[in-house]
Amino acid sequence: MAITSTESAAAAPRRGMNVLFSLTLIGLLLALWIALGIGTASFWTPLNISNLLRQGAMTAILAVGQTFVIITAGIDLSVGAIVGFSTVVMAWLLQAGFPLWVAILATLLMGVAIGAFHGFGIVRMGLPPFIITLATLTSLRGVGLLITNGSTISITNEAFTNFARADFLGIPSLFWMVILVAVPAYVFLHLSRWGRYLFAVGSNSEAARLSGVNVNRTIYTAYILSASCAAFVGVLLASRIGIGNATQAEGWELQAIASSVIGGTSLFGAVGSVHGPLIGAFILATINNGANLLNVNSFWQRIITGLLIIVIVYFDQLRRRGSR
Amino acid sequence: MSRLEEIAHRHDDALLSEGSRIPTGAPILELKSLQKNYGYVQALKPTTITFLAGEVHAIVGENGAGKSTLIKLLTGVIPRTAGEVLWCGHPVALATPNEAIARGINAVHQEVVLCPHLTVAANLFLGDEVNSYGLMRKKQMEKMAQSVLDDLGFGLPAGAPLGALTIGQQQLVATARAAMRGTQFLIFDEPTAYLTRQESAQLFKLIRRLQSEGVTIVYISHRMEEVFELADRVSVLRDGTHVGTRNIGETNETELIALMINRSIEQIYHKEEIPIGQPILETRGLSGPGFEDISLTVRAGEIVGLYGLIGAGRSEFALGVYGRQPVSAGEVFWMGKKVQIRNERTAMDLGIALAPESRRDQGLCLNLPIGLNINLPVFNRLSRGPVLSRGDEAANADRQIRDLSIKTPSRRVLASSMSGGNQQKIVIGKWLSHGARLFIFDEPTVGVDVGTKAEIYRLFAKLLKEGAGIILISSYLPEVYELADRLHVFRGGRLVGSHDFHAASHEEVLAEAIGV
Repeated sequence: MAITSTESAAAAPRRGMNVLFSLTLIGLLLALWIALGIGTASFWTPLNISNLLRQGAMTAILAVGQTFVIITAGIDLSVGAIVGFSTVVMAWLLQAGFPLWVAILATLLMGVAIGAFHGFGIVRMGLPPFIITLATLTSLRGVGLLITNGSTISITNEAFTNFARADFLGIPSLFWMVILVAVPAYVFLHLSRWGRYLFAVGSNSEAARLSGVNVNRTIYTAYILSASCAAFVGVLLASRIGIGNATQAEGWELQAIASSVIGGTSLFGAVGSVHGPLIGAFILATINNGANLLNVNSFWQRIITGLLIIVIVYFDQLRRRGSR
Repeated sequence: MSRLEEIAHRHDDALLSEGSRIPTGAPILELKSLQKNYGYVQALKPTTITFLAGEVHAIVGENGAGKSTLIKLLTGVIPRTAGEVLWCGHPVALATPNEAIARGINAVHQEVVLCPHLTVAANLFLGDEVNSYGLMRKKQMEKMAQSVLDDLGFGLPAGAPLGALTIGQQQLVATARAAMRGTQFLIFDEPTAYLTRQESAQLFKLIRRLQSEGVTIVYISHRMEEVFELADRVSVLRDGTHVGTRNIGETNETELIALMINRSIEQIYHKEEIPIGQPILETRGLSGPGFEDISLTVRAGEIVGLYGLIGAGRSEFALGVYGRQPVSAGEVFWMGKKVQIRNERTAMDLGIALAPESRRDQGLCLNLPIGLNINLPVFNRLSRGPVLSRGDEAANADRQIRDLSIKTPSRRVLASSMSGGNQQKIVIGKWLSHGARLFIFDEPTVGVDVGTKAEIYRLFAKLLKEGAGIILISSYLPEVYELADRLHVFRGGRLVGSHDFHAASHEEVLAEAIGV
């Protein structure tokens, strides 16, 4: 039939465009690295590269968690607050004399509980994800400030605080943590049926439900994963700064969302990957790092980041429109 | 000058006066090889139609014949792929809805596109408010609106929120709105689908009045009696092609229907002698949201047809059986055993499959690949431990694409780029790969081309021969009438009649469904 031939002709370039988009992102990252290598003397020093990897690591983990939620057509605004609160919980438990593993486990479980609470609010109470996670953002900061009475709790456990500064096989331990999260996340999202369910729920939850997908459980899963990733980042941050402080990680939720979106995730749901947000997070980290090295006013960094989001997402939109 | 003309007069500007120079009976809008493609689908093949000033021009055609596409092109909602449109003899772009409105082309849609939370008056003046010194003259607008409504003979309050009116009344408001804008060319898209007889009569009166004021009317409808009552000329669309235009006095219903379908009924409806076996599903007095006291039985090898108007409770009943909606009373027996179906998974595990009414809202994840859609119900079978077997995934999707001859280059293509017929095949493919004893097909052939329809009907026969039972829900009477071994008629959520194959006439079934 005549229809068949036009179909194949139109579909082939689309797949090419998708590959092209991932390559553009990696290309952009490499271009930034090369340009900074030429433009500054200190960029390609081991010290700076370690720094860059450490800076990007935490946003990268948050962005991966955030991506699960955004794929279901939701949003998790609470991750920054969870990070700050987790540093408080870590410091508080260590101060109270609990062993390190208990403190870490308890903090992670707290993340699970917060995620489950979000799921409950969305599924059972019917609240929009924006609202329930915004409420958590505000309240968690408040609870953290109450516990610490507005100040900070120092962490005296040196084994713990040394971890964030340590290297393993010449690579910062924090970056290893990204790999620790990203590999199972990739398997979950791209190779398991639960990943497929996330996409289906984000695309059309009614169609997913009528096809036997447990939509409620899928939504719980997404928010629990996001909050757990945030709690994990909280543990890492506590190790890095050696204190518990509820006001830490202010605005990180926006960094995470930005990384995810730069990495090709659609805020309308059903489009996203694990590798995209990782690249996105390191593009943002590179811009910040480069701006520091070039002595660019840190206020400019924010402006550049904002413009970059517009440009990248605009090109992504063009790509999608073209494929329609 | 009537109140309406007085208000409409405010709109007289250069663009409009162009239209008013056209004398009655001369071409006002000419389509020259107008064409629209959606992705790979030709929704409207090159079409040439001329509309004459002051006529009522009906357009008829089956679902998916290209009627909606034509309206969207004329009202500037979608861009054309090729062709030309002449308005009063001059080529026009009709690139945006605003351009169409500015030229005097308006449409009244089947589903009202106004703001339900605003008052009737606010809706009438929306985008065109009466201001003085930058402030809205709310009182004055309300008074003007009321006088227009009274003038048109609608007993509607201008101060009431639009959402508080019935759909029929809202449609009258939408028409009044178009009339107030000094429209030259007014398109009605199946306006009477949700109207009562009285409301329809009011609408017809209004249409005749507008015609007498020189407005050109395009009237799109399924209902032959309305076409013969209102129209001067009628154009027939079939599968995206314009197949003919007739003066209403020189044609009859039989000719129009022949043009619309161009095939005899026996050619499409494929029914084989299949022995009917044991009961698969039996409901006794089943009630739930939207349906009440429904008792029926589906046996192996049997098609049970559910006929009724939109909103008669057929789809709600199907969702109740499938566990999507809670059931408040009654019993369900599956293979003779009493069962409680509380959710979709339970229904699927028993062996019930549902191809739901709306492909877009319930059937498909449109922005995901065809393969994922087909595999969605069976991912648990395609997994080895926690990880999916990509090979099985591909094999299962490709098998359905091949068996159902879904016209796609690859399973990776997004479901949204497929035509209605192919999308329906994807929905069906989901359930064929899952397997079931009872298939519920809710409006399976809406927006589906004729060839695919015939394929779907042949597929029914294949499923029946394998020992399955089918519930076929349709608003298109010939479909259920020719296919169903037993036909149940729904009205207002209740079962009002049950007939064996061809035991009642079309008219009897229709009368039961409408309730006359």
